[in-house]
Formats: sequence, C-alpha cells, structure tokens
Amino acid sequence: MNKKAIQWLYGELPGLVSQGVLTPGAEERLRAHYGPMEPARPARLAVVIFGVLGALLIGAGIILVLAHNWEDLSRPVRVVLSFLPLVLAQGLAAWTLVKCPQSLAWREGCGALLFLMIGASISLVAQTYHISGDLPRFILTWSLLGLPVVYLLGAVVPALLYLWGITEWACHIRWEDGFAGGYWLLAALLLPLLFAWLRSGRYRVRPTLLLWASCVSVTVAAGVTIERVLPGLWIILYSGLFALMFLAGEFWFSEAEGFWARPLRHFGAAGVLILSFLFTFEWPWREIGWHYWAWGRIPEATWRAIPDAVLGSVIPVAAIALLVTTVRRKTPLGLIIGLAPIFATAGYCLSSLSETYAPAAGLFDVYLLVTGLWLLVTGIRINKQGQMNVGLLAVAALILARFFDSDLDFLLRGLIFIGLGVAFLAANLVMLRRKGVAHEQA
Amino acid sequence: MNKRNLILIGLAVVVVLQLAVPAWMILERERTLREGQVFKFKTRPVDPADAFRGRYVFLSLEPDAVKVPDAGAWRYGQKAFAVLGTGTDGFVLVKRLERTRPAGESALQVRVSWADNLAGSLHINWQGLDRYYMTEKKAPAAETAYREHSRRTNQDCAITVRVLGSVGVIENLFIEDQPIQAWLKDYKAK
Repeated sequence: MNKKAIQWLYGELPGLVSQGVLTPGAEERLRAHYGPMEPARPARLAVVIFGVLGALLIGAGIILVLAHNWEDLSRPVRVVLSFLPLVLAQGLAAWTLVKCPQSLAWREGCGALLFLMIGASISLVAQTYHISGDLPRFILTWSLLGLPVVYLLGAVVPALLYLWGITEWACHIRWEDGFAGGYWLLAALLLPLLFAWLRSGRYRVRPTLLLWASCVSVTVAAGVTIERVLPGLWIILYSGLFALMFLAGEFWFSEAEGFWARPLRHFGAAGVLILSFLFTFEWPWREIGWHYWAWGRIPEATWRAIPDAVLGSVIPVAAIALLVTTVRRKTPLGLIIGLAPIFATAGYCLSSLSETYAPAAGLFDVYLLVTGLWLLVTGIRINKQGQMNVGLLAVAALILARFFDSDLDFLLRGLIFIGLGVAFLAANLVMLRRKGVAHEQA
Repeated sequence: MNKRNLILIGLAVVVVLQLAVPAWMILERERTLREGQVFKFKTRPVDPADAFRGRYVFLSLEPDAVKVPDAGAWRYGQKAFAVLGTGTDGFVLVKRLERTRPAGESALQVRVSWADNLAGSLHINWQGLDRYYMTEKKAPAAETAYREHSRRTNQDCAITVRVLGSVGVIENLFIEDQPIQAWLKDYKAK
C-alpha cells in the first residue's frame, strides 16, 4: 500500500474511533498491520542538499582559481599549492569518518569536495609543468582515484561524479577512434555499492539517484563502446536496452511511488517510445545488415568487435527473458513495451534481407499507434493524467510525422493540427473534471 | 578489527594513492628538468583556454613531418617515438621514427597524423608538447603580440624542452631568443 494512503488512514483513525466507527482495539490492530510511518524529514534533506551544493561550488571555485595560473609564484610554492586543497579535503573526509560517520550531509559534502580536489591537484601539476593533452587519461586517473571515496564515505555524489568521469572517458576514447569497451568494467566497479544500497532499501534516495544516472550513462556508453562493424546494430541494441530497463523496473521496483522513484521504468519507457518513433521513418532501416559489414573498421584488432557481439546479443536476450516472466505475471504494459526488441529484430532482418524499408517502418507505425492508444485509453480508465498525456503525445507525434511525410494540402494538415489540439484539451478537461468529482466525493 | 578501523585504514591507503599520483608527476618532471638534455623546437603560438587548467599558449612544433622508408606501413593515430638529435642550426631534428621506445637515446612519443607516400614522409603530432600555460591575461596578450610581430618579421618563436629517456618537459617559450615574459615586457614598452 502506498505511503500517502497509509498517512491519510492514520490521520483519519482518531476521528473514526471518536465517532465510534472503529473500536480502539481495531485502531491498534490497523496500526500494527501497516507498521509505523517514517516521519518526513525535509529539514535533514535540505541540509544534505545544501552541504553538497556548497562543496561542489567550493570545489569548482578552487579549480577556477587554480586555472588562473599563478605564473609569478615559484615552482616549489606551486607544488605545495597543488597538494594543499587535496590534503585539506582528505583531512575533512578523515574528520567526518571519525567524528560524524552517521551524518549524510558531511559524508556527501566531503565526498564531493574530495573527488573534485583530486582533479584540481592533478590539473595544477599539469599546468606547472606544461603537461598537455591526453584528456581521457587525465579523466580516467581522476575517476579511478575518486572511486574509493564513494565506498569509504558511502556517498552518492562522488558515485555520480565517477559515472560522469567514465562516461566522458569512453566518449573521448571513441572520439579518438580508440577502444572504449573498458567502460563496462569501470561501470561494474559501482555494482557492489549499488546492490548494497538496493538491499538496504531500494526506494531510498541514494540508489534511486544512482539508477537515474546509470540509465543516462549506460545509454551513452552503449553507443560509444560498439565498433559499428555491423551497420544498424544499434537498432537491436537500443531497443533491447530500453525494454530491459523498463521490464527490470516493472519486475524489481513495482512498489515505488511517483515518477522520480522509478528511474528504470520511466527512462526505459521513454527510450522505447522515442526509438519507436524514429523507427517509423525509413532512414534507420537503410543500408543495414551483413551486406554492409564494415571490414574497414577492424583493420588489425578483430577482438574490438567483441562488445558488439556481446552487447548486441546479451541485452536483447535478457530483455526477452524478462518479457517471458512479464507474460506470466500478466502485465499488459510490460508485454507491449517488452515486444519492442522483438519487432526491432524482425524489422532489422526484413530490411537487411529484402533491402526494402517500408515494411519495417510500417511495423513500427502500427506498434507506436497501438502503444499510444493503449496508454491513452488505460490512462483515462485508471485516472492517470501523465500516462494519458504520454499516450496522446505518442499518437499525435505519429500522425504529425506521417502528415509531414505525405503530400496533403495545407488546409487538411491545418485542420488535423486543430483536431489534435482539441483532442488534447478535451481529454485533459475530462480527466480534471473526473478528478474534481472524485475529490468532492472523497 | 571493527568496521570503523577498517574504513580508516582504507582511507589511509587511498590518501597515499591520491597523493602519489601528483607526487610522481612532479618527481618525474623535476628529474627531467634537472638531468635531461636540452632540445630547441621552432614553434608558433596560439591562445586557447582549458576549463580545468586555464589559459595556455598552443604550440605547433616543427618539424611536423619526418622522412621514413615505409610511409605506407603506418596508420593514422599510431604511436611512434621520434629519436631526437640537434641540427647545425641549433634546432632539433628527428633522426628516425621507431615503433617502440628506443633504449639509451632521447626520444619523444608522437602520433602519426597522415602519410605522404609521394614524398615518403609521415606527418606527426608532438603529443604532450603542445601547451605552454600562462596567466589568463598574459596568454592572449602573448598570442596577439606574436601575431602582430610575426607580420613584420619572420617566424622566430621557439621552445626549449628537456628530455630524459622519453619524458619531455617544456622549459621555456622564446620569441626573438628572449623568454616570453621578458619579450612581452619589452614589446609593451616599445
């Protein structure tokens, strides 16, 4: 049962007892059944947020001050200066661990500051000795030196900074045409922490934040770590990845409340919908498949294509495995979103074998229309305005895209735009009115 | 041993590691500056900025191409070691390119940019020697002054680099044989 409902129930209980609807014994049994409510502590959260913001601002400020470049200072002075912020941040971290290891605000703030100061220290040495270039190596060294901070302080902000670091590293390596597959090993180094946090409370703020950041990071990394030897592999990979995220969110995090508490579900669903919209065009399906195998991309190191094979097979297979369990659990939305990688693979085979692109695009026209309508209708039925609007948006985007593709005249297009706008407004009005009625009845 | 002590020991190890990286960078460069052989490179300064490390003068070093017997056998982005010598004009010359670090000779790591098969030469990038950091006001001033100056005279900008084994550290940036700081002062006075 959701927390808000329990809170409401607990608020009602004294009144119900005094009016004689419930006996005091029944009230106690209800309280024992639902357990104690954790009081909301907005003040504590504010302290953590301000602590982290303060640390990040100070850290960024120190980096900028050092970037000024104190040319007039002698080399020994600059050497001392390059260590000073790092040593101070380390001292603060040690003080936190000894004096107030329970304080989340101190741990998060110190973790953020220490992480940034590692980078500041290396930067100042690089500046003093005119050490240039190799930005990926700098970012990787910085991230790896910062990783233990995440574990020692059990803080999420340095974990987010680490994720940013390794993602940035992978992008730079790809930019230089290098092999960025190491990203997956680097990312796996965060898994023990993530699992420990999930075990101690999977709907808490820290694991949720880390999951949001991981969704973004993995989405970027999937694109930059594949070698692109098989043109169009991204179609299967990304549809599998987003479906996997969504199904994992449905499977393991189904009791979360609110939009932000369900990162995997919402990120995955958004990914599948956006991807499906792109697949309704013909361009993703052109020049893909074995006929266009890019031998030139793997001149000497064939092993560099391993991530392509692993990611391109493991992720969609995992998504389909989760889909099977979803079918057993009979969750219709899971089934709809989970079908995306199967349709994508079918479209891929169809386009690459027949060299015709319209059937695959048509398949996704139908898929997006069905998904959008389903979201719209069920959204209205279960009174969820957000879901209804997403459905409406999906249908509207599909219709608009097809009408821009075709040669219909301006008058007809204009009327369709007006019609869609009216539909949006009407659906929302109906929903608001219903909610209003429900509220009054309550 | 309780959990808190374990964490503190962990922190001690991490602190040492975090300090060791910049410390090692410093020791390696100081040793090179003390014991390394001096080489002089012709160059051209341009001024960009780096979010982390501030303003610097971008250096484009010469020679930017090296004659090799097998230009076609090299590919874009490949690492190579340029074995250094000094020409009769006092500037650096690249004796040859090696695929692995040569023992007992001063050599700097470079990256192959493209091969000129007709001329039998490889164009190279001097990685790690393309930045000279200055204060945020001086770096753009140096670039502007140099540009104005180079319109009137020939290019006469150079850097000195200390090389020990395959570690190179920029010692100073010179315009008209004067260190950049002194040259800027004179230039403003003119």
